[in-house]
Amino acid sequence: MDREEFVLVRDMVRSLATRFGVTSADEVKPSTRTAAQQALDELGLADLRRTSPPAATAQECALLAEEHGRHPLTTSLLGTVLLAPELLRLLGDDTSRSTPTIALTRELRFPGRTPPDLVAWDSEGADSALRVTAEGAVTRVRLGSAAPSTDLVRSVRAVPSDAPVEVVGRLDPPDLLRWQAYALVVVTAELVGAAGSFVEQAVEYARVRRQYGQAIGSFQAVQHLLADATVLVEACTSVTRYAAWCLDNEPPERALTAARVAKAEVNSSALEAVYAGMQVFGGIAQTWEHIAHLYLRKVRLGATLLATTDELLAALAVPEVTR
Amino acid sequence: MTDTPLDFGDPADLDRLRREFRAWLAEHPLPERQSGEPVPVFLRRWHRLLHSGGWVGLDVPERYGGRGLTALHQVAISDELGACRAPGVPRIGYLAHALLEFGSEEQRLRFLPRMLAGDEVWCQGFSEPGAGSDLAGMSTFAERHDDHYTVRGQKLWTSYAQYSGLCLLLARTDRAAPAHKSISAFVLPLDRPGVTVRPLRAANGDDEFCELFLDDVRIEESERIGAEGVGWALAMTTVSYERNALDTGHISKYGLLVERLRRHAAEHQGGLPDGLLSRIGRCVVDYEVLVAHARRRTAERLAGQVAGPESSVDKLLMTRTEQRLYDTALEVFPAELSGEGGELFGDYLYSRAASVYGGTSQIQRNIIAKRILHLPSNG
Ligand SMILES: Cc1cc2nc3c(=O)[nH]c(=O)nc-3n(C[C@H](O)[C@H](O)[C@H](O)COP(=O)(O)OP(=O)(O)OC[C@H]3O[C@@H](n4cnc5c(N)ncnc54)[C@H](O)[C@@H]3O)c2cc1C
Repeated sequence: MDREEFVLVRDMVRSLATRFGVTSADEVKPSTRTAAQQALDELGLADLRRTSPPAATAQECALLAEEHGRHPLTTSLLGTVLLAPELLRLLGDDTSRSTPTIALTRELRFPGRTPPDLVAWDSEGADSALRVTAEGAVTRVRLGSAAPSTDLVRSVRAVPSDAPVEVVGRLDPPDLLRWQAYALVVVTAELVGAAGSFVEQAVEYARVRRQYGQAIGSFQAVQHLLADATVLVEACTSVTRYAAWCLDNEPPERALTAARVAKAEVNSSALEAVYAGMQVFGGIAQTWEHIAHLYLRKVRLGATLLATTDELLAALAVPEVTR
Repeated sequence: MTDTPLDFGDPADLDRLRREFRAWLAEHPLPERQSGEPVPVFLRRWHRLLHSGGWVGLDVPERYGGRGLTALHQVAISDELGACRAPGVPRIGYLAHALLEFGSEEQRLRFLPRMLAGDEVWCQGFSEPGAGSDLAGMSTFAERHDDHYTVRGQKLWTSYAQYSGLCLLLARTDRAAPAHKSISAFVLPLDRPGVTVRPLRAANGDDEFCELFLDDVRIEESERIGAEGVGWALAMTTVSYERNALDTGHISKYGLLVERLRRHAAEHQGGLPDGLLSRIGRCVVDYEVLVAHARRRTAERLAGQVAGPESSVDKLLMTRTEQRLYDTALEVFPAELSGEGGELFGDYLYSRAASVYGGTSQIQRNIIAKRILHLPSNG
C-alpha cells in the first residue's frame, strides 16, 4: 500500500475503535461483541493478507494490530483478519469462502506434534479454526462452546476433541518459520499498542488530577514513573516495528529471531509500563469499572501467549548457527 | 515519532556492505594493544586503520571526508564491528553533527576530514564544577574584543582532553542574558597559551577525564562556531546526538561483550547456575532492542526528523543495556572480581557512569516528562 492508502485503512480501524471500544468491563456482552465484529467485517480487511502478493505488507499489518490494541476492542482483528488469512495465503488456498481464526493449545502455544486440547483463539465472528502442527500440517477444526479467558475482551472458543478434522494443506519449512514469525509479531504488536495507549491515558490523567493543590503530573516522582514507562513503550515499539519489517525483507530465520526478541522485550516491558500507568491512576485503577484492568488482563495474558519470557531468553542466550 | 511504516534500508545493499567490511577486516588484522599503551592511544591507531579502509563517517558527505552513505549503513557497520570482536568505532558522530549543523562551510572543510581521519582528536568542554546537570549555570566567560575573545574559567570532566588537540568549548559571551541567548561555542586548540589540562583519575583507574583551566586564553573570532549566542542550541544538538547509541559507537562495544556471553552460554549450557542463561538471554534482548531502536531513530531521521528530546529515551535505553550487561558479565565471569579485578571489572565500574555522563538519568527523565509528555511544572 502507499502511505496515504495505509493511513486511510488505519483511520478506519481508529474510527471503529471510537465507536465500538468498550469503556468498562460491564459493556462486554455477546450483543456488543457481535455488533463490533460485524462492523469490522464490513470494512473488508480480511483481504489485506489474503492475496499473493499481499495487499498489505507485514509491517502495515503489525501497525494495524498495534492500533487495534490501543483500545479495549472485542473484535477479533488478529485472528480472523490478520492471522488466518495469512495462513491460507501461504498455503496458496484462495478458494476458501469461510472465516477461520487460529487454533492454539489450551496454554495458548503453537500446537506441537500431536495436538492436545485446542482452543480457537480470538474467535469472534469465526466459523472454524486453523491448526498448524509442528511439522507444518494445516487442518481445519470445528468450533465448540465459548471458553473463558482472563482477557475479558478476547473471544475464545473450545475445539471439540472428537470433531472431524479437514486437511487444508502443508507449509514447507521456510513458510512454517514465516508463519510463526508473523504470528509472534502480530500478537506482540497488539500488546505494544495496548501498553502505549494505557501510558498515554495515564499521562493525560496526571495532567488533570490534582492533589496538594496541584496537578499530580507536576511531581517529579510521578514524572519519572511516566518517563520510565515511556522508555519501555518506545523500546517495545522499536523492536516490534523492526521485527515486522524483517518479515517483509529478511530471510525467515532472521525474521523469526527478530520476532522472538520483540516478544521477549514486550512480555516484560509492556507489563511494567501498564503497572506504572496503574500506579499513576491510584485507587480508581483498581476498580472493576475502570478500564485499567482490561489493559492489564490483555498484557498479562499476552506475556504468556505463544512464548513466555523464560522460554525465549533461554533460546536467545545461545548463538545462532547462521551468523 | 512516526506511526506509519518505516524504511529500514535495503537488506541486500546493507549485506553487501557488511560482506565488504568483513573482507576488509580479514585482510587487516586487528591491532593489538601494547603493554602500557593507554586505551585512547590504542583506539586512535584503530581509528586511523578503520579510516584508511573508508569505514569512518559512512553517513558524512564525501566532501567532508565521509562516504556519503546513510546512517543506516553506519548502524550496520557498528553492529558488524561488535560481532567481529573488534574494538569500538570512534566516538565522533555527535561532534561531527555539531559541526555539520552549526559550522561555517570553511570550518566544516577544515575540521571534518581531519576529525574523521583521526588526525585531530576533539574533546567536549561543556561541564564545569558549578554547572553539571544545570549546564545553563556555566560561568566560563569569553570577553569580546575587535576580532578575538579572551576566555577565563574552568571546565571539568572533559574526557580525553589530555589526548586531544581541539576542544569544543562553551563559554558565556553575555553575562546578563539567559542561557539560551548568552552562550557561544568555540574551537579551542588545547596548546594555546593559558590552557592547562590536568587529568583526573577515574574510579576504574583510567585517566579519562580532565580539568581544564583557562587563563585569559585568546580565541579568534573565526574560531567561534555559529553566531554569537547560538552555543546553547549547539549544545542541545550535540547532547541530543550524544545520547544515541549509534552516534557514540556504543553499539559495537556492547555487541562485543554480548557475543562473548553467548559463546560462553553455548559452551557451558548445561553447567550454568540457575537463572544465568536467562540473564544472558536478557542481555541479548537488550542489545537487539537497542540496535532496533537505533535503526528506527535513523529511519526517522532519514525521513526528515531532526534529533530532539526523544534522544533522552535513547540514552536511558542505552544505559539500561550497558548496566545490565556488565552486571551480568561479572556473574558469568566471576574470576574478574578476584584480586585487583580485570579489564572487564574496569568496564563494569565505567558502566556506572552511563547514568551520569551525557546528562544523568534523572535529567533524561525530566526532559521526557517536560518536553515529550508535556507534563505540568511544579508550583
Ligand atoms: C565518565 C564521564 C565522562 C564525562 N565526560 C564529559 C565531557 O567529555 N565533557 C563534558 O562537558 N562533561 C563530561 N562529563 C560530565 C557530565 O556531563 C556531568 O557529570 C553530568 O552532567 C552531571 O553533572 P554533575 O556531575 O555536576 O552532577 P550534579 O549535577 O551535581 O548531579 C548530582 C545528582 O543530582 C541529580 N540532579 C541534579 N539536578 C537534578 C534535577 N533537576 N532533578 C533531579 N535530579 C537532579 C543528578 O541526577 C545526580 O544524581 C562526564 C562525566 C563522566 C562521569
